[in-house]
Amino acid sequence: MPLARHDLAACYYEVKGADMGPAGSEFSSGIQPAMCLPNRLKSVHSRLPRINPPLLAYLLLATFAVALQPATGQNPSPSFDDLAARAAAARDQQNISLALDLYAQAEQLRPDWAEGWFYLGLLRYQANQFPQAIDGFNHLIQLQPTAVPAIALRGLCEFETADYDDSLRDLEMAVAHGAANEPRNAQIIRFHLAQLLARANRFQDALEQYKFFATEHVDSPDLSLGIGLAGIRVTTLPKDVPAQDRPLFQQAGEAGYAVLAEESERGDALFQALFSQHPSTPNLHLFYGFLLFPHDPSLAVDEFRSELGVAPANETGHAMLAFSLMITGRYAEALPEAEHAYAASPTLQMAQLALGRSLAETGEIQRGTDLLNQVLQKDPNNLEAHLGLASIYSRTGRREDALRERAVCLKLPR
Amino acid sequence: MRSVNARSASSSLVSLSVAFCLVVLAGSCDTGQAQSAAAPVTCATCHVGVAAHYAVAPMRHAMEPAGADPQLTAHPELRANVGKYSYRIQTSDGRSTYTVTDGVNTVTLPIRWIFGQHSQTFVLEKDGHLYESLVSFYPRDNTLAVTPGDERIVPATLTQAMGRELSLWESRSCFNCHATGVVPGHQLDPEKLAPGLDCQRCHAGAQQHMADASRNSFATLPPSLRRLDSEEISAFCGQCHRTWDTVVRNHWKGPAFVRFQPYRLGNSKCFIGNDKRISCLACHDPHQQLSHDQAYYDSKCLACHRAPHPASATSSPPASPAYKPCPVAKSNCVSCHMPKVDLPGGHQQFTDHQIRIVRPGEPYPD
Repeated sequence: MPLARHDLAACYYEVKGADMGPAGSEFSSGIQPAMCLPNRLKSVHSRLPRINPPLLAYLLLATFAVALQPATGQNPSPSFDDLAARAAAARDQQNISLALDLYAQAEQLRPDWAEGWFYLGLLRYQANQFPQAIDGFNHLIQLQPTAVPAIALRGLCEFETADYDDSLRDLEMAVAHGAANEPRNAQIIRFHLAQLLARANRFQDALEQYKFFATEHVDSPDLSLGIGLAGIRVTTLPKDVPAQDRPLFQQAGEAGYAVLAEESERGDALFQALFSQHPSTPNLHLFYGFLLFPHDPSLAVDEFRSELGVAPANETGHAMLAFSLMITGRYAEALPEAEHAYAASPTLQMAQLALGRSLAETGEIQRGTDLLNQVLQKDPNNLEAHLGLASIYSRTGRREDALRERAVCLKLPR
Repeated sequence: MRSVNARSASSSLVSLSVAFCLVVLAGSCDTGQAQSAAAPVTCATCHVGVAAHYAVAPMRHAMEPAGADPQLTAHPELRANVGKYSYRIQTSDGRSTYTVTDGVNTVTLPIRWIFGQHSQTFVLEKDGHLYESLVSFYPRDNTLAVTPGDERIVPATLTQAMGRELSLWESRSCFNCHATGVVPGHQLDPEKLAPGLDCQRCHAGAQQHMADASRNSFATLPPSLRRLDSEEISAFCGQCHRTWDTVVRNHWKGPAFVRFQPYRLGNSKCFIGNDKRISCLACHDPHQQLSHDQAYYDSKCLACHRAPHPASATSSPPASPAYKPCPVAKSNCVSCHMPKVDLPGGHQQFTDHQIRIVRPGEPYPD
C-alpha cells in the first residue's frame, strides 16, 4: 500500500495535536486502559517487569480520535445510529462479544465508517482474534491510508499471527511516522520492532530500538535476551530460542544493555567476563565493538581486531574494522582491511567508503575518488563520501571543489 | 575533557626546573662526551634547544599532577556557589582539595589530576570512579565557575554536584590528550601516566629511536611530521584539538566549538591542504610557548597576502602564489581577521581560527 510520507506525518501530527479528541466525544472517554490489552500481549509484557502496563490502544485511540471523524460527512441513518450507540455502550460495559456483533452490523450498513472498523480491529485485538483484527484494520487503512495508529496495531497483530515481514513493514512505518513518540506506546512497539529487525538481519537497527529501553532504564530478561540475539547477530526470535542457548544471549544482552545505558564500567566488566567464558564464540567482540564505535572508534578497532582473531572469516568484522580505522584517520592500516571487505562485498557501502577514502588518502586519488562518487550516486547525502571528497580536493589543491564539498557537509541533515 | 590548555603567559616553576634538568642533560651531550653511565639518555640529550623550549610549552603542561600546579598554589582558597551547592578548593603544602556541600552534607576529595595550564578542570576519583569536576578555575577572572559543557547539568545528588562521572571511553580520551602513556587495548591506569605530553606522544617511536641512538644507530627515526601536508597536519593536531571531520560528524555547532582550531581553520576560505603556508604548524611551533603578540603572526598572513612581485607578473605562476593583499592594513592582521570569541559562561575567550573578513554585527559563522 503506497503511503506518502508527508501525508502520514501530517495526519499523525494533526491527531497528536488534538490530544484526547473533542471534549465529551465518545472517542476520548469510551475506552478504558485496562480493557485495551489483549491477554496474550499482557503475558508478553508481564515478562517486562519494569515496563508499565502498556496503554497502547488507549493512547493510540486518543491520538486517533480526530482522524476518525466520519469520512463522508453524511448523517448516519437512524438504524446505523442506534447500532453505533449500542455498540459503544456494549464496549463501555466490556461486553466484547456484543460490541463486536453490533459494530459488524453497523459496518454492513455503512462500510465507510472508519470508527467502526477501528473498534472492530481493536476489540478483536483485545480478544486475541488477531486475523480478524487485521481484517478490521485493513478496512480502516483502506479508507484512511494515513492512519498511523491503525498501522501500528495491525503490525502488532501480524506479529502474533507470525506474518513477520508484514509486521516489520507496518511497525517500521508506524515508528517512522511517530507512533512510538508517546513513551508508553514506545515500549510495546519498539520491543516488537526490535525483534523483527534482528530477525531480518538488521541487527544494528534492532539495537537502535533496544537502546530506547536502556536510555529509559527499562530492563527485563526478555529485553536482555533480545539485545543479546541482536548483538550476537542471531535471527531467531526470542520466543524460539532453545532453553539451553538462553544463558549466553541473556548474558550478552545484559552486557550490551549496560553499555547502551552508558554504564560503561559495568558493561566493560560484563563483556570481559563474557570473553573469558566464551573465548571462541563468534560475534561477541563484534558486538562490543559496535557498541563502542559511537563513543570511541579507536576502542572499537581493538574489539574488531579481537573478533577477527576469533573468527578470521567474519566479513562484517573486516568491514567494520576497515571503516573504524578510516574514521580514526588510520588510512594505511585501513587499506588492506578495506580491500578485503570490498572484495568480499563490492556493493557494501561501508566497504566502498572505507576503501575509497583510504585509497585517496594514501595516494591512489583517482580510484578513491571514483569509489566515493560511486557511493554518492546511490546516496547523494552520504556525509562520509562528502567528507572524503572534501579532504581529497583540499589535498590536491582543488580549492573550489573542496569548499563546495565542505559546504555540502555542513548543510547535510543529521 | 573540556578543559582548555591555552597557555598562561607566565611559565611555571615546575616547567623551569624541568627545562633546567633537560638543558643540563643536553649539555653533557653537547660537550662531545659519550653518554655518561650515570646520566640517562633522554630526548634532550641530543635535541637540546627544542627540549628546553618544550619544557615550558603548553602541551607539555596539558596536565599537572596534584601539588605541582602554580595556579592553585597562587590561589590557595577558591570558592563558588552554583545553584544550591557551594564549592571550595583549598591548596596548602602542595595538596589541593575539592569540596562541595549542599549545606547539610559535604564531600571533600583530593584533586588528583589538573587538566589544562590556563583554565583548569580537575579530575577526581571517588569509589573507584573518575569524575570531571563540575566547576573549573578560570584565571582571567580568578574564579571558579561551571565547567564548559556542563552548564545544563542540574545535579540531583551531592555526587552529581561534585562532578560528572566519566565513562571509560571519556576517561581514555581525556588522559590520552592530556598525558602520555595511554596504551591502546590496555586498561587505563592514570597512576602510570606521565603528566602532559612527552615527546613520544607526538613522535611515535621516539623511545626506540632514543634507545638506538644511544648505541649510535639512527635507523629507527620517528616518522617525520615535517612532510605532512596541511590537511594531514590538521588531522594530526586534530586528534586532540578536533578535526573538521570530527566536528561535522558530531554536528557540533556554535561558539562553544570555536576552541577546536583545526575545524575552524578548515572552515577558512583560504585553507587548502596542499599549501603549507596555511596550517597549524605554519603559525605555531608546538615546542614553543604561544605568542600572544598579534604582530608575530603578520608574516604568516603576508606569506600569502602579499603584493605580487613585479617580475612574476609576466612569468609562469609561482609555486607559492600570492593572494589579494589586505586593502586596510599590513599589520596586526589577526586582530581583525581572527576575532576573539567568548565561550559560553563568559569566563574564557578563544581566537577564532576561521580566518575571514569579519563584518560588523554578523553572527558567529558555523
